[in-house]
Amino acid sequence: MTNKPTAYNNRLGLKGWVYAGNYTFERYLYIGHRLSGLGLIAYMVLHIIETANRMRGEEAWAALMGLFASPVFKVVEYLLFAAAVFHAMNGVRLLLVELGFFLGKPQEPIFPYKSSVMKHRPLTYIIMLLAGLLMALGGSSLFFK
Amino acid sequence: MRETRLWSLHILVIPIIAVLLGMHFAVQHYAPVFYGMSVEKARDFATMIERGRSTAQFVVYILLLAAGLYHGLYGTRGIIRELPLSPAMVKVVDWGILTVGVLIFALGTYVTWWTFVHPGV
Amino acid sequence: MTDTKQITFRIRRYDPDVDTIPHWEEHKLNVPDGMTVLEALHEIKAEQAPTLAWRSSCRMGVCGSCGMFINHLPMLACQTQVLHLGTDVVTVAPLPNYDNVKDLVPNLEPLIQKHAAIKPFIIIITNSKEVDEPTGEFIQTPEQRDEYSQFTFCIKCGLCLAACPTVATDPLFLGPQALAQAYRYTVDNRDCGLQERLEAIDAFHGPYQCHMAGACSQACPKGVDPAFGIQLLKRTLVLDSIGFGKKKSSVAKVMPLADVVKAIEEFAPPPRTVVK
Repeated sequence: MTNKPTAYNNRLGLKGWVYAGNYTFERYLYIGHRLSGLGLIAYMVLHIIETANRMRGEEAWAALMGLFASPVFKVVEYLLFAAAVFHAMNGVRLLLVELGFFLGKPQEPIFPYKSSVMKHRPLTYIIMLLAGLLMALGGSSLFFK
Repeated sequence: MRETRLWSLHILVIPIIAVLLGMHFAVQHYAPVFYGMSVEKARDFATMIERGRSTAQFVVYILLLAAGLYHGLYGTRGIIRELPLSPAMVKVVDWGILTVGVLIFALGTYVTWWTFVHPGV
Repeated sequence: MTDTKQITFRIRRYDPDVDTIPHWEEHKLNVPDGMTVLEALHEIKAEQAPTLAWRSSCRMGVCGSCGMFINHLPMLACQTQVLHLGTDVVTVAPLPNYDNVKDLVPNLEPLIQKHAAIKPFIIIITNSKEVDEPTGEFIQTPEQRDEYSQFTFCIKCGLCLAACPTVATDPLFLGPQALAQAYRYTVDNRDCGLQERLEAIDAFHGPYQCHMAGACSQACPKGVDPAFGIQLLKRTLVLDSIGFGKKKSSVAKVMPLADVVKAIEEFAPPPRTVVK
């Protein structure tokens, strides 16, 4: 009895979300958007549960706020802000692009081909610049008392 | 049209979240810049209760809660379901995420209402 | 005598009769300017590795058979000149996200099945008499053709699915090729089949699992830009869900046969471009 030769499973799996080849940086904006999104929703769920502590009274609330005044939490808070800014700005780009805006018109491909990714690259640069600006401005929160 | 409607709502709430979350950040985390108030004062119990008793705050928080939870949990559902799952696991993921969303929305709404009807400090 | 450069080819080998996991083999070759990766593989098979297996056919970039993962990007081997890659070591592997049958041969069956699932043909409205008793030709203006013609250049090579991050984990995702073709047929003014295709495309593993990573369009060797097609498909579906879609009853206008004959007779040839 002979065994049928088996094909090798060449699917990249989760690794394929992060790195799969020498692709352009929009593919990394995609993974950045995923990671920041997961971080933000996880934070939001915890945040709703944590702020419910107000119902335990003024002292419990003050203790919780005291915890968040430490330098570690200030950095975490800033990273949260940065993640929200990145996710929001990239999200605005995706909102426009995924409805077909800023991608040009369909036209007969003439070599060298310009993909829709390259066509909206100027928009990507502007959005990333704005995001960087907002993140830099937001850094002031690290110095708040 | 179901998946199209779910996705359309997911992107429709983007501008709502952008505006309301921006306001929330300004009040909670950047109070020294926008209100000349220290972060400590902005977050203390009395200030928080006083702010929470306004109708505007109540409406904004409920909207932000609904929009943020829907957007975030729809995205999470998409990420998890892009993994190879059995049909049974797909049902677990869908119903599990819906349950988490409903429970957290209920908790958040209750806390917001509790603050809104608080007699004050 | 043409100048040649010695290039090392790192080729991924897998023999299902012998191996449980793939391994890499190195072969050195003197490569002249203009030699493609496909030609290099032929040379290596002739001189060094007689059992090396791959799929190829037209060797001119129209059949889509020779898709491979070359220097970490999906490419057609016949369209890739070795020296243009700019490296002394060229890695050649089978396309990722497809089962590896042997050496450089991917199992493209999922690509074909997903393509078939979106009904890749013009669907005329079923109660139209034109289907069984045609009276003329369907009219399509050049502007109407321009709306979809870019997506007709697809050669079903499968490089786009190899590049897609969603295909990497989700075996049920339709993929850039099928979704771009779904748009091609849906937007064609002769087609009334959006409702029939909805079961396949308005489902979880449809266009909403595309997140515009753009790798598919980067990989496409024919400039089809499947990512563009998918975003336009999303727009079409959203508009249709709120009642702004193509009317089901709208059939492309028919030009009666007599008028078609008259148009051909009256056709004026274009002006001469070669001066006598």
